[in-house]
Amino acid sequence: MSNGIDREGPGAAQAVTEIPIIEVDGHTGHTLEPEWKRLPIGTDHILYPVLVSLALFPILMGAAGHHLADDMPDDETHPFFPDHFWPYPIIAVIMLITVGLLAAFVQKNLQLEQPADPRAVTIPRPDWYFLFLFQFLKLGPELITAIVIPPVVVIGLLLWPFIDSFAGTRVARRLGWKRWPVPGRNIYTGTGWIVFLAIIAFLTLWALAGPGFCLPWFSGPVCGA
Amino acid sequence: MAILLTSTVVVALAPLLVYLWPAAPKGQRKQVLTVTLDTPIDQLSDGQAVKFNAPASPDSAFIMADGGGDNAAGDLAFGGFVVKNQGKVDVFAINCSHLGCSIALNTDAKTFDCPCHGSRFHLDGTVLRGPAQAPLSHLTWKQGSDPSSIQVDGLTLGF
Amino acid sequence: MAIPHPREIQTAVVDWLDDRYPFTKSVDEALYQRVPNFANAFYYCFGGMVFILIALQLVTGIFLSFYYVPDAGVPGNSPAYNSVLFIQNTQYLGWLIRGVHFWGANILIVMVLIHMARVYWTGSYRAPRELNWMVGVIMLLCVIFLSLSGYLLPWDTKAYFATEVTIKIAGLAPPAQLGAFIREVLQGGPVVGPATLQRFFTIHVFLLPAVIVLLMYVHFRFIRAHGISEPM
Repeated sequence: MSNGIDREGPGAAQAVTEIPIIEVDGHTGHTLEPEWKRLPIGTDHILYPVLVSLALFPILMGAAGHHLADDMPDDETHPFFPDHFWPYPIIAVIMLITVGLLAAFVQKNLQLEQPADPRAVTIPRPDWYFLFLFQFLKLGPELITAIVIPPVVVIGLLLWPFIDSFAGTRVARRLGWKRWPVPGRNIYTGTGWIVFLAIIAFLTLWALAGPGFCLPWFSGPVCGA
Repeated sequence: MAILLTSTVVVALAPLLVYLWPAAPKGQRKQVLTVTLDTPIDQLSDGQAVKFNAPASPDSAFIMADGGGDNAAGDLAFGGFVVKNQGKVDVFAINCSHLGCSIALNTDAKTFDCPCHGSRFHLDGTVLRGPAQAPLSHLTWKQGSDPSSIQVDGLTLGF
Repeated sequence: MAIPHPREIQTAVVDWLDDRYPFTKSVDEALYQRVPNFANAFYYCFGGMVFILIALQLVTGIFLSFYYVPDAGVPGNSPAYNSVLFIQNTQYLGWLIRGVHFWGANILIVMVLIHMARVYWTGSYRAPRELNWMVGVIMLLCVIFLSLSGYLLPWDTKAYFATEVTIKIAGLAPPAQLGAFIREVLQGGPVVGPATLQRFFTIHVFLLPAVIVLLMYVHFRFIRAHGISEPM
């Protein structure tokens, strides 16, 4: 046991000399490794995004940072627990009862058809949330309706914040508005969103109306599914 | 160091991507499939068609001889139609050239109708109405030992 | 020796744990963070409802997997189909677990869309929250692919043909070789068959749940960093 290291109390492996903490631009913390020990990968390197995504995890595990509510007076905020948390157990119970009742009384949708047989002749019909896409496929050459437009819509959704900040400011300036977004006036993007949802709802209803319900279209009448 | 990292990523990813590409099962082989028809060919009247299925045991499928639209030569079909049209006998794969749904014979209009998106085909396989744009695919076949059997090029799937 | 009061034992255990890791501090930070009062509006609860539903899907999904057999079998004799029939008709409360998973999935899609509409409506996708919107859209895609892959698992006729059409559509991507490659990789063979069921099962049960749980964590860390957005 006597190997020359003092063992006093639990976890006694203490540094004899303190590691100096260098303060740079108000940044207190551990010092960076010397240049020659670091990866030679900077922002201009092709692998930099890989490093950033690897670093994302520990970053997100760390402190959450500054909160909006930290700047607000106490009477305009409340603690998350229990003041903000209490409705959620109630919501959870209500939702559990809802799906339980649906499971108990609406078993029709759960009944299986015949086992899968590639030789069977049936009309394939997707679940309700794909009906709009299924109906949309009938409206043009499938290369455009299936391969071009859906990915464009998804990428548009993904990049929507940037589209909004780019186009919105220009629209606002042309209309003489001082800034974007204008408080309480989300008119242009809001209308676009509602039109988008309305098209999806219309296509879904069109498909739900069944094969007997046909509407005129450029390539001839198109019926529901 | 960067080369080391890059090569590590490549060396690790390449086998994973290759692994996703499915190999053919051991028992999978091309084969001439003998099919028995419900109506013998010599008893088919003009404008009549008879549907037939690929054998289910062992699980097998027909190989399309030509393609167009969604179908391509070499694609598989689980069924087909023998059709007699103006004295000529044709054998078509059952898949619509739009998105591959099983077509059905419309006996009144003497057309093949697709139930999915409403495409219609003449009995010679050409398009009568869209959205399909390409004709039906043919199967490679020859007359079997008796009038009610045909031999069609196919594939034993092997799983 | 006096018997210690239960509270003293509890305090001693917590102190021992806190010496190893700052559990109490973490719990305090998680639970007692201040939330703005405007966040009490009812339309801020949809995200929480989505969370509850995803948790419900994870639980019922694990329970379903105790009985589900991901084996398509041969035409006319499919263990996958039979195991779903067993869960539905024979297993005690199997209809309930499967029903909750089914209806939970349907309501989940509705709630995800409502949550997304709310985020849109309050303009919560604007700076500095663009990344969180993008994470949300990726999770929407995850939910859609989960629904798609889950639809095939009962291995009945409608599941089979719906999946076949879906894969056909994915296989339309030009050029033809790329489309054929996509189709073959999704199907795991030349046709929709046993290999397809196995692949979709793995995607539905292992891949996408892991991805969506990770992304949910990222989503929540972003919300905590940004704070709840102000109403319009």
